[in-house]
Amino acid sequence: MSPDSFFRSTGFRLLAWYVAVFGASVAILFFIVYWIALAALDEQLSDSVGRETDVLVELYRGGRVERVARAIELRMADLRAPRRYYLLLDAQGERIAGNLPPMEPIEGEVVLPVSFLSPDRRPKADEPAEAYPVLAEGRRLENGEFLLVGENRYRAVKAQEAIFRALAWGIAITVLLAAGGGAALGVGFLRRIEEINRTTRSIMDGNLSKRVPASGGGDEMDQLAVNLNAMLDRIQVLMESLKRVSDDIAHDLRTPLSRLRHRLEAARVKAGPDGDAVVEQSIAELDAILETFSALLRISQIESGARRAAFSDVSLGQIVSTVSEAYAPVAEDRSQHLSAVVASIPLIHGDRELLTQMVANLVENPIRHCSAGVEITVGLAQDGASPVLFVADTGPGIPASERESVFRRFYRLEASRTTLGSGLGLALVKAIADLHGASVELSDNHPGLRVTVRFHASL
Amino acid sequence: MKILLIEDDTQTAAYVANGLREHGHVVDHAASGRDGLFLASGGGFDVMVIDRMLPVVDGLAIVKTIRGAGIKAPVLLLTTLGGVNNRVEGLEAGADDYLTKPFAFSELLARVNALARRPPMVEEATILRVGDLELNRLKRTVKRGDKPIELQPQEFRLLEYLMRNAGHVVTRTMLLENVWEFHFDPHTSVVETHISRLRAKVDREFGEELIHTVRGSGYTLGVSR
Repeated sequence: MSPDSFFRSTGFRLLAWYVAVFGASVAILFFIVYWIALAALDEQLSDSVGRETDVLVELYRGGRVERVARAIELRMADLRAPRRYYLLLDAQGERIAGNLPPMEPIEGEVVLPVSFLSPDRRPKADEPAEAYPVLAEGRRLENGEFLLVGENRYRAVKAQEAIFRALAWGIAITVLLAAGGGAALGVGFLRRIEEINRTTRSIMDGNLSKRVPASGGGDEMDQLAVNLNAMLDRIQVLMESLKRVSDDIAHDLRTPLSRLRHRLEAARVKAGPDGDAVVEQSIAELDAILETFSALLRISQIESGARRAAFSDVSLGQIVSTVSEAYAPVAEDRSQHLSAVVASIPLIHGDRELLTQMVANLVENPIRHCSAGVEITVGLAQDGASPVLFVADTGPGIPASERESVFRRFYRLEASRTTLGSGLGLALVKAIADLHGASVELSDNHPGLRVTVRFHASL
Repeated sequence: MKILLIEDDTQTAAYVANGLREHGHVVDHAASGRDGLFLASGGGFDVMVIDRMLPVVDGLAIVKTIRGAGIKAPVLLLTTLGGVNNRVEGLEAGADDYLTKPFAFSELLARVNALARRPPMVEEATILRVGDLELNRLKRTVKRGDKPIELQPQEFRLLEYLMRNAGHVVTRTMLLENVWEFHFDPHTSVVETHISRLRAKVDREFGEELIHTVRGSGYTLGVSR
């Protein structure tokens, strides 16, 4: 399968949808986790701040501001807690201790922006930990003092970043896994679809006994294969019975038609040497009917391929010579001209009798359907590796729109309805060509018709 | 001639048997393959006409059996309409000729006659002569009286076949099969055209006609009686 057809395939589109939906749902899930984790981190932070405040308020009990101030000094000196912020104000709003500038006392939780922090506590280039806003809690103490304990959101922000990175990686890996897994599934799926397509193409080429391979896994594709095969079995049975019916009809009519012919012959004998025009006409028409049956049966026997068993090496050149020698005087009597152009080509593997009939049919067509003066050429050529047989005439030709139809049984061109013939000649040619794995092509000979039969070199 | 006919269809059998008898032949008829095989094994027939499609023991089996038993009488196999493989199968089984049903009686008669005179044909003469017409098969020359006649290869083969069967009717189909190896019926007058060309060369300038048309049957070559 080419990359181009891969991108156009249903499998790829399904895969793209799958990855998009899967990726989106994973992203939504991860963002929910992210927000919940963030809220939890902030809650943890505010708990931590609240506990610290409680401890300091406990120290203060009974108005012992100094104990609190000392505790704050000690804690500020502790380098292990660089992210802690304290502010202790007396009743007049003057700072007693702390590393924050004096502020209007606000009770309860408050977020202090970075700009509020005193210059020495502002973030520096090498101190990214400080670059974060501070979550703080303010309490009014018993004697009018104000205590504020804060902690910057470094941890929360770091955790936030870590979670975000984890989520980004997670989504990326998920999408990749989904795409990879989907592609693996899709390629397997496409391969089975391609198998089905190959089989149907082969069946369209006339190989009706071909079947879709089933993996035996029992999945939907397998069921599809099983159902297709069951349908093909049914079609094959129907076609075989149809063929059998038509063969049987032709076959069973043979005996009564034979008897009829015998009676007519007896009547002819009885009519004496002058003959009976009605009897003669009846015999002629009966022979035409018998010939049609014969041609139909012949085509269906050729199509069955049984004849292939008797293939031998055949010289197309010899066949073309024999046929052109046989028909050249016939053409000449009709003021037509038949010539042969025989190139030396290798022997082909085939059925001499049928190939002779094919060439004769192709040569007879222009002789019978073209008027006087037509130039008919039958010949052989080597086109690359393929031996090519062609029959060209300078007659009226066949309109491009009808060129495919003329190979159908009983199809007759408007122009040739007035001339005799069963309409089976080219159907027979096609059947013989198919038997030999050759293609038959009609083209414009400018003017006239050119029939090209292209054999395979490997034969 | 003594002819054995093995044919299960009574009407066809009666038609063929009566026709052959009218032409002076003795006909034994068997209506089944088993009876036919029994009669054929007894030998003593000049020609055997055997239908290919017979109940129980079919025509091919009969031919194989009698050939296996060393009976050499020529066999004409009657085959089915449109049977592409029938000819080859029949000839491989040991039949000498085949005829597709339905057939004109004259066709059957001509072929039975041709088969009956086949044995002497084994030793072919180099020079064939009919009246003052002479054909040399080795030099591939033809002359009538002292006058040489130029013939195209297919005309030569046609004349040769007519001369080998001189005095007997050869049908259009026999000519197509033996001269051109066409095992199908052309839709144009191939035989008639070549016969008329041959006549123009062999007969026209010489007063006496050697090639005669037998109406409803075919052609015959010979000195008129």
